[in-house]
Amino acid sequence: MMTENIHTNTTNEPSTIDPVIVIKDLKKGFGDRVVLNGFSIELRRGESLVVLGKSGSGKSVLIKCIIGLMLPDSGTIEVLGKNIESLDHKHMDELRSHIGFLFQSNALYDSMTIRENLQFPMRRHLGRLTRQEVNSRIMETLTNVGLANTVDMLPSELSGGMQKRVALARALILNPQIILYDEPTTGLDPITAREISKLITDIQHKYSTSSIIISHDMNCVKQTADRVALLLNGVCYAIGTYNELLHSDDENIKQFFE
Amino acid sequence: MKLFAPIRSFLSETGSVARFVSRYFQEIFQPRYEVRQFIRQCFTIGYKSLPLIGITGFIMGLVLTMQLRPTLLSYGVVSKLPVMVSLAIVREIGPVISALIFAGKISSSMGAELGSMKVTEQIDAMEVSGTNPFKYLVVTRVLAATLMLPVLTVLSDAIGLYGSYLGVNIKDHTSLGLFFFEVFNTLHFGDVLPATIKTFFFGFAIGIIGCYKGYNSSKGTEGVGRAANSAVVISSVVVFIIDLLAVQITDVLGLN
Amino acid sequence: MAKDTINNVKLGLFISSAVAILIISLYLIGRNQNFFGSNFYLRARFSNINGLIAGNNVRFSGIQVGTVDKIRVIDDTTVEVTLIIDKSMKPYIHKNSTAAIGNDGLMGNKVINITPNKIASPVIEEDGLLFTRKAPYTDEMIEKLSSTNNNVEVLSFKLVNTVDQLNNSKALWSILNDTTIPVNLKLSINNIKEASIKINELMDVIHEIAKDLHEGRGTAGMLLKDEKAATDIKQAIANIDKASQESVTAIAAIDSVVQQLHEDMFYGKGAVHTLLRDTQFVSRLNHSMDNIEKGTAAFSEDMEALKHNALTRGYFKKQAKKTKSVK
Repeated sequence: MMTENIHTNTTNEPSTIDPVIVIKDLKKGFGDRVVLNGFSIELRRGESLVVLGKSGSGKSVLIKCIIGLMLPDSGTIEVLGKNIESLDHKHMDELRSHIGFLFQSNALYDSMTIRENLQFPMRRHLGRLTRQEVNSRIMETLTNVGLANTVDMLPSELSGGMQKRVALARALILNPQIILYDEPTTGLDPITAREISKLITDIQHKYSTSSIIISHDMNCVKQTADRVALLLNGVCYAIGTYNELLHSDDENIKQFFE
Repeated sequence: MKLFAPIRSFLSETGSVARFVSRYFQEIFQPRYEVRQFIRQCFTIGYKSLPLIGITGFIMGLVLTMQLRPTLLSYGVVSKLPVMVSLAIVREIGPVISALIFAGKISSSMGAELGSMKVTEQIDAMEVSGTNPFKYLVVTRVLAATLMLPVLTVLSDAIGLYGSYLGVNIKDHTSLGLFFFEVFNTLHFGDVLPATIKTFFFGFAIGIIGCYKGYNSSKGTEGVGRAANSAVVISSVVVFIIDLLAVQITDVLGLN
Repeated sequence: MAKDTINNVKLGLFISSAVAILIISLYLIGRNQNFFGSNFYLRARFSNINGLIAGNNVRFSGIQVGTVDKIRVIDDTTVEVTLIIDKSMKPYIHKNSTAAIGNDGLMGNKVINITPNKIASPVIEEDGLLFTRKAPYTDEMIEKLSSTNNNVEVLSFKLVNTVDQLNNSKALWSILNDTTIPVNLKLSINNIKEASIKINELMDVIHEIAKDLHEGRGTAGMLLKDEKAATDIKQAIANIDKASQESVTAIAAIDSVVQQLHEDMFYGKGAVHTLLRDTQFVSRLNHSMDNIEKGTAAFSEDMEALKHNALTRGYFKKQAKKTKSVK
């Protein structure tokens, strides 16, 4: 199998073998339409995996299944060694506190200030922090995304790129081990998109997180990916480094890189 | 089968509303109570609606008094004006007008707010952030609406009766003391209690329908608009249906 | 955070004011219904409670003192009503006070009126039974009112009829419009007066003659011999007699006519119907007036003739002299 081949090819890379997310034979459909049809993938600790696919190919469905926003029809998803289907609400929340999620539409709470937006994830998971600790954490994270001066503004007062940074800051606020990016550069101008892509790689190094990035923006893929998985017809069609896939002879792979 | 499509969609909608309501009652009693958010919603839903509902209540009281006066005059019972108006306001006009205004203001804003939160994945974001969005958004809002509408109605009734007092004083003269003495002489528990109790149901219906429509709105800005619009329309109709049920139930219980 | 506190204060004010209004109004309503405050119970038994219901007011000498609590049927003729009365009124309600069901205005609710009795009596105990009195109920009042109304209707119908007839009666109007009648009446009455004076005078003469006859002196002797003169006198006396009789009946007739006219005007009854229907009446009246006039005139003539009669001439002369000398 091709998937296996590429998988074995990449085992000699420097990142540790220890997987943080293992997805096996994931199936998910909406009514008659099958979106994921036996998708299998592994995210290794510290790596940045880009899932590449066409619009509507089920990329977002994949990461929403990982975070538990959608329930798979069949297959198993193990995150940090825990099968998410077997988790109750409390343990699910506990697990989610180790995962950051950057939504495609940022999903900033538009009735709240930036500070309140960043506080929101903390009010559950880190209830025992003092006000000062919370504030310093917020300022630190905002500084890391380069927006320390916006702390008391409302999301609607920020530009799209700034909103994306705030959303990233919110995903980072709990120091997660895993970050899931849902199309981080969609809807941004190329320059801002490049900035965000750079920010993602910076964050990756600074926080030493493992991340799955859903994208179809090739610039972003090129910039951020350690490995690239190709989602095609509901399965992981191919997986490898950006350069490996770029030089592939497979017609189905080639169409993404043209 | 196509002929039955509207009926089918109505039934499935009713079913999912029922499911939504049952989820509400499951979640409301389970711990992790969003008290702060609830109080904030009470403030936005209740306190912020007071000027609007107060003005409509005042105008209703005044207008009703001026409209009823000629008829009562022709029967020679103008002195019964406070009696008539207070019964009308306390039993029916106050609760229903307040509920309709409340539905227009609150149900639509819930539909639009939750709808846009749904569309921009804010609800998902809450879920991911370890907050139960149903508890945080729906339970607090519905509970606030359920408890705030009676409060608003009582205040609106009071303001409406004051408006009626001014309306009486346009043509006749009465003192505030005498006016309210007559009002309270007329009213019975059977007038006040069923009217107050039904406002809880009005508030609950308005809240739950606004939240349901917003929470289940389809993607896109059009979906948000439709959610807000249908929330108002359906909750207004439901207010009248509950009113019909309420009058029948109070009749059966002999409270009328 | 500061904003939150202010908001909470506003919200608290908002809610507590509504709750306060609700509580106060419920208290005020409840005070009217005696749900709060201290009360005691009284009972009263009626045979008919006329639609009294629980919650109706109870008044003591017109003061609102409580409400009807419950109504219970004791047997087929008795209904017991339990009243909740304000405790502060207890010292004023005596055992011999009476309760009656009344109306709060014509269309209003039923009320129970407790009326004190002037005769001293101990204060009523709790749960005591009040005397009851059947008060006039609206239904009965209305029933009576309706029979009165019927009578009024009949009366007014008749009145309308009468007025109609009065309006349509030519006879009455012609009587009322005829200005000659009172003049004639006056004239005939004057004639009658004159005639009666003359009759009086004549009577005096006859008296005198009869006296002379009795004493058998004067012209009487001659009178007895003269047969022709005797028949003349006899005739004259008969005439006088007849005329005076006629005039008496005529006066009586006129008197009764006048009387009746008078009565008819005021009471609208009796002969007025015939009067009103009989259009010939006026002419008859005129006719009889004429007759009376004629009769009295004839009488006067007779009297004048008598004066000049040989037998009585001396007497008349004497009389004339007498009156002259008196004058």
